[in-house]
Amino acid sequence: MADQFRREISDALGNPNLRRALGNFADAYPASRENVYRGKDFEAIRAKIAGLKKSGLQNIDQLADQFTRAAEKAGIVVFHAWTAESAVNYIRNLALAKGVRIIVKSKSMATEEIHLNQQIREAGIEVQETDLGEWIIQLSGQRPSHMVMPAIHMTRGEVAGVFAAETGRHLEDDIPVLVKVARQALREKFLRAGMGITGANIAVAETGTLVMVTNEGNGRLTTTLPPVHVAVVGVDKIVSSIKDVAPILEALPRSATAQHLTSYVTMITGPVPAMDGEGRPLAKEMHVVLLDNGRTRMASDPVFREALQCIRCASCLNVCPVFQLVGGHVYGHVYTGGIGIILTAFHHGVEKAESIQSLCLGCERCKAFCPAGINIPGLIRELRSRITKEKGLSGGSKLLLEKVLPNRSLFHGLIRAASLAQKPFERGGVVRHLPLFLAGVTSNRSLPAIAAKPFRDLAGGLPVAGRPKGKVGFFAGCLIDFVYPRIGEAVYKGLEKMGYRSEFPVLQTCCGLPAAYMGAGEPAARTARQNIAAFGGDCDYIVTACPTCASFLKNDYPKLLGDDPQWEERARRFAGKVIDFSSLAGLEELKPGGGQSGTRITYHDSCHLKRNLGVHREPRDLLSAAGYELAEMKWPDRCCGFSGSYSIKFPEISGPVLELKIRDIAGTGAEIVATDCPGCLLQISGGLDARGQQAIKAVHTAELLCQGDNPFR
Amino acid sequence: MADDKRDDLYALFLERAGAVSAQVVRVAGYSAAALALADIISGEKAAKIVAEPSVMVRKCVDLLREKGVVSIGAPADPGRPALFFDGLRLHAEDAGMGVSEMAVAVAETGSLAGDCTSMEARLVSTLPPVHVALVPASGLVATPAEAIELFYSGGRTPGYLSFVTGPSRTADIERVLTIGVHGPEKLFIIMVDEPGGVGNG
Repeated sequence: MADQFRREISDALGNPNLRRALGNFADAYPASRENVYRGKDFEAIRAKIAGLKKSGLQNIDQLADQFTRAAEKAGIVVFHAWTAESAVNYIRNLALAKGVRIIVKSKSMATEEIHLNQQIREAGIEVQETDLGEWIIQLSGQRPSHMVMPAIHMTRGEVAGVFAAETGRHLEDDIPVLVKVARQALREKFLRAGMGITGANIAVAETGTLVMVTNEGNGRLTTTLPPVHVAVVGVDKIVSSIKDVAPILEALPRSATAQHLTSYVTMITGPVPAMDGEGRPLAKEMHVVLLDNGRTRMASDPVFREALQCIRCASCLNVCPVFQLVGGHVYGHVYTGGIGIILTAFHHGVEKAESIQSLCLGCERCKAFCPAGINIPGLIRELRSRITKEKGLSGGSKLLLEKVLPNRSLFHGLIRAASLAQKPFERGGVVRHLPLFLAGVTSNRSLPAIAAKPFRDLAGGLPVAGRPKGKVGFFAGCLIDFVYPRIGEAVYKGLEKMGYRSEFPVLQTCCGLPAAYMGAGEPAARTARQNIAAFGGDCDYIVTACPTCASFLKNDYPKLLGDDPQWEERARRFAGKVIDFSSLAGLEELKPGGGQSGTRITYHDSCHLKRNLGVHREPRDLLSAAGYELAEMKWPDRCCGFSGSYSIKFPEISGPVLELKIRDIAGTGAEIVATDCPGCLLQISGGLDARGQQAIKAVHTAELLCQGDNPFR
Repeated sequence: MADDKRDDLYALFLERAGAVSAQVVRVAGYSAAALALADIISGEKAAKIVAEPSVMVRKCVDLLREKGVVSIGAPADPGRPALFFDGLRLHAEDAGMGVSEMAVAVAETGSLAGDCTSMEARLVSTLPPVHVALVPASGLVATPAEAIELFYSGGRTPGYLSFVTGPSRTADIERVLTIGVHGPEKLFIIMVDEPGGVGNG
């Protein structure tokens, strides 16, 4: 990975202002957002937006033509810009032809994307950003770090310094005063500007209308005072009819800034009356630059088309645990956060997105918040897989994913060997420090030792129900099999209580997700076929106590084997039987072991259990029924930062994400933190141990429900 | 519209507009509207006012002039604010207040909506630090969707449809909400029921 990228990450992590600003915002955003959605059916709005955007994107050329005809009828000059360069040239030539000396701009991501300002300035024309945040960024020579709040990474003191340098005045770091300074300085520019440039949030094909959603009032001034208005509009912004505007307006301000509506929403159809500086009437000119710059290519891609449904609310940034730590600049380009990774790949080239795609934890939180129904983490994985296909895996990963993982006996043999190799570093089942280049792995958390006896060696000796009502195949997954066999034992006890005979098919292996998530589809498919074959067809259920395995077996196997109808059908039948332990225990009304009355516990939602499988109520109900006193932590469904190899690749990010989780857990005063995921368990128990919080125990739900009085043997 | 339905919409409008720092009064008829406007003018100590020459605004301003509250188009004499309907491009630059008419009020969002195609409607509502909007109570609707439908009904397409929700605002510095950036820092809304009393419509 590029050293520079690493350096940018470490700079961002070392910036306390950034951390504070983003952290406070991330904490405040979900509640204020929820507040403005109260009484609204978010799922219905999202379905509407996804639907109207989808159908628009299928006919993107037709819509662009329809928009052009309607806009021209309304007196607008429409220019189709295939590339960034042609858009810039058009605007520059227009400004030169009109003798424009000053251009005022309201906020527009599209003009950032084409790097308009710099090139206009080189033509000797003054370009003034007027959105407060954009102006700050422009004056300080930076890039926006957030799509909606461009200067969120800067403090009032830094802004005061920037404004003082611009105005030549001494300025206190008082926000209302700074805002007044901007008002005065930019008012002059508005009154003298010969051209106003804006973006648009929506363009309506039926009428040729542009919709702009703003807060500061600069959008109205930009479109009112200068005699020439140029709007730069991505072709993806076109919707079919005026009826499509309201659903987007319903979601955009709510998701972006937790407002019912922004201060100003302006819907412009054609040039409106204008006046010169003396008040004499002028013929206004309005131009729309319809920007393609990779969009049509993206729209013709059956998978990535979905990313063009984006309405630029930036909620995927606001809820991303990684963005919250590193901010927007490490993403390297104009569009940041989850959606930015995908847009960057298309607008600026896949190679530009190669490093940043690895920042995604895959926690799926952004997907749950996206008002346009975009599967952002899914698209990032697809991007990863295409990069891998094109460039191949790196040496170490190639060996591991292509040779070791699909070869079960080799893979398992290596794990057993590692269990011996770790001996020098292990104390009481925990590895606290690893030497040399592995040190980062244990700097934020201890690691559990690999078990002396994997679950596969124990399964045969465990009790099963005498007169079983059915048969359950247990899919252990690597972590339970080799690190936490005790969870497997608990699951067996639980299944016995429920009246099922458990079976452990020994030919099962890794679920294949690590390979798939690194873009290695073929090795993942090979492990999928091995697992399906290992389980045969005669179980009533296939139970796992690992939500990551569960969601991969259930949701991804049929897709993974989609090329072969026979295997696809087998995968579908297999997937239909897969269930996570808590869901089955809930269905079977498992009566948990007693004697826990009054013990205070808190529950951590695994990302994959909650967001991929939709399970969050069941474990809580079961634990409460077992007599535990459940104290919810502040953000129970915020990622713990594990995400498999991510915590090894980016310990500097995984560590602080874990830090927040530990803080929230400790804040509840609970003695136990329960979770349904062995990966979260590894991360959280390691984090508790490394911080001297050994008094709090991290335990799998199955252990609490099935191990009776003492789950901590 | 039934009176009680309108009152429900008004109650929500009042709450939502208040939540975004708009100041709302509801009055019956134009004399009461003119009084409310006079109160705002004296409260804000506005010496120079620019006004959109619309029907509602003219009616109120006529009453104010008769009462000697403002003088029209004349240079301000001490104690009597000057109000301009003409030459707005220049007058709006240093006016302390702008008065305009908005046709629609949106309950769910506390917004006003109006066709601002005329340059005058835009100048008086963008440049001065205080914006006073007159809106008929009969223009209350529930949602932005209804407002858009109204303005675009019958094949009409307004040139410049504006939704205004509270005064101009920003949170671009440290996410601290600050009122009054490029647009007005205060928004007063005078909602006028038709002459004859509240809800007579």
